[in-house]
Amino acid sequence: MPAQERREGTGIAALATLLVGVYLFPVYWMVATSLKAQRDIFAVPPKLVPWPPDFEPYREAVLANPEVARGVLNSTIIAIGTTVVTLLLAAPAGYGLARLRLRFAAAIALVLLIAQMLPAINLALPLFVIFARAGLADSYLALIVANATATVPFAIIVLRPFFLSVPGDIVEASRVDGSTRFGAFWRVALPLSTPGLVTVAALTFLTAWGEFVFGLTLATSEEMQPITVVLSRFITQFGTRWNELMAVSTVVAIPIVVFFVLLQRYIVGGLTAGATKE
Amino acid sequence: MASERTVRRSGEAAGAARVPASAGARAGRRPRRSLGDSRFGDYLFVAPAALFIAATILYPIVYTINLGFYDVTIRNFLSGAAPFVGLDNYRAMLADPAFQRAFGVSLLYTGGSLLLTFVAGFALALLFDRPFPGAGVLRALLLLAWILPSVVSGNVWRWMLDGSNGVVNFALMRLGLLERPVFWLTESETALTGVVLATAWTTIPFAMVLLLAGLQGVPTTLYEAASLDGARAWRRFTDITVPMLRPVILTVLLLNFIYTFKTFDTVFIMTRGGPGDATTVLPVYAYTIGFGFFRLGEGAVATTLLLVVPLVLSLVYFWLTRREEAA
Repeated sequence: MPAQERREGTGIAALATLLVGVYLFPVYWMVATSLKAQRDIFAVPPKLVPWPPDFEPYREAVLANPEVARGVLNSTIIAIGTTVVTLLLAAPAGYGLARLRLRFAAAIALVLLIAQMLPAINLALPLFVIFARAGLADSYLALIVANATATVPFAIIVLRPFFLSVPGDIVEASRVDGSTRFGAFWRVALPLSTPGLVTVAALTFLTAWGEFVFGLTLATSEEMQPITVVLSRFITQFGTRWNELMAVSTVVAIPIVVFFVLLQRYIVGGLTAGATKE
Repeated sequence: MASERTVRRSGEAAGAARVPASAGARAGRRPRRSLGDSRFGDYLFVAPAALFIAATILYPIVYTINLGFYDVTIRNFLSGAAPFVGLDNYRAMLADPAFQRAFGVSLLYTGGSLLLTFVAGFALALLFDRPFPGAGVLRALLLLAWILPSVVSGNVWRWMLDGSNGVVNFALMRLGLLERPVFWLTESETALTGVVLATAWTTIPFAMVLLLAGLQGVPTTLYEAASLDGARAWRRFTDITVPMLRPVILTVLLLNFIYTFKTFDTVFIMTRGGPGDATTVLPVYAYTIGFGFFRLGEGAVATTLLLVVPLVLSLVYFWLTRREEAA
């Protein structure tokens, strides 16, 4: 019986591996195309394996292209800024909401849920007007704040259960020992919730890195545009130079893939936790 | 009720964390009560985030709704001297055939993508529900499609669906499913299909993970009992899996609908709403009005109307999950 089960398991494993391989073909095709010479991308039948690899698209479209470097720099600043702002706001809020016996728990959950489901374009328009009037148009601060509108509610929803699982007695004990209210949060609750903080930081960074709508609407000058908007601009500029377009796409995808591989355990858990309920 | 009280009295770590001690118990344990010890202190932790959300989410929404009552253009918006026009923007918008078409395209786009996502996501979840070596890694790998920036996946699909050199055409022709190349994204009959395909590619893994979590929560004893009673696989699926999974299915459908309905980037990257207005979904339409033509008043109305569907569905979702939890 176990032997048969094992054989069945191997069969399913083979089928699943094949399916996942086919499913992720677009990712492979992006990288493969980015390593081909211009004439090879028009080859019929298409060259499935770009061998020998041609790094010319990367030299041409990425290394020799200051717009890409600028876009990557902007995206890095925006993504890190958004992560910092999100943690600073959401960690205390998640803690406070976990500590309070809230009569308004349902109302707050509803506000957070709706905030998370707002179309970005819905906020982009008023934020554009508000930032313009405040003289903050086309600034990193504007982009960081706009990005944080999406990540703060999500982060609170993900973090609250982590703080709920910090035993209240430990917090109380540290208070009796003379800790301030903030000290109990900072020295006791926060370290115990490290996995939650890592999850939130990783997902916030990934979200902000891939963000497009706010970048498109709020970064009005090309120098301020995140890499996603730069890539979108290249679509018309590059035309059918698909290899170069895929090279830039790969550059945009690399941090995501690296983060994902390193922090997979945290990210997968956080994705489902944030989506379902508090 | 009685059990809750015992947990509270026993003061076990888990119980104490979940149910905050009653006010009386707290006062007894506390050596002294200062201002800092009041509930007010805990609200201070919430205050910064609450202010942030009020200032950057709630205020802008109110601002947009208000903006919709004014004739705001690029010329008068900085001076703030836009004339009040009441419901004129709404009347103009609702009567605009372009808006009506965008609404229809949005429903088609969301519906098509939702159908594909749900069916494929469920099939994958059923496959991954059976134990096999490497399941965890493969499941995580699938999620890469969800977590990749839409700008990237949209671009890759644009290339794969290219009429002249796209790999999709090549594969379909090789398989004998197509006679001549289809210019997927540049013909109005097929553009929406192409965009739906690319969108579903990103949402399927997410639906799959949620459904899989639901499947793994169904007690195996139920299946064993049904097997003993001689129920076949299909019967077990319709009589046990689907009813047990009802809350999860509901969650997946609603979240996916809301998520897809508000999607802007995938569509914008792939077609910019074209050809013509074949793929102009509501968010793209609102963007064009507001930021393309800088008709800010009308743009405000368009985004306000765009808000209605996710808002109603959020409330439905919220109400349903509360009810499930209470039951």
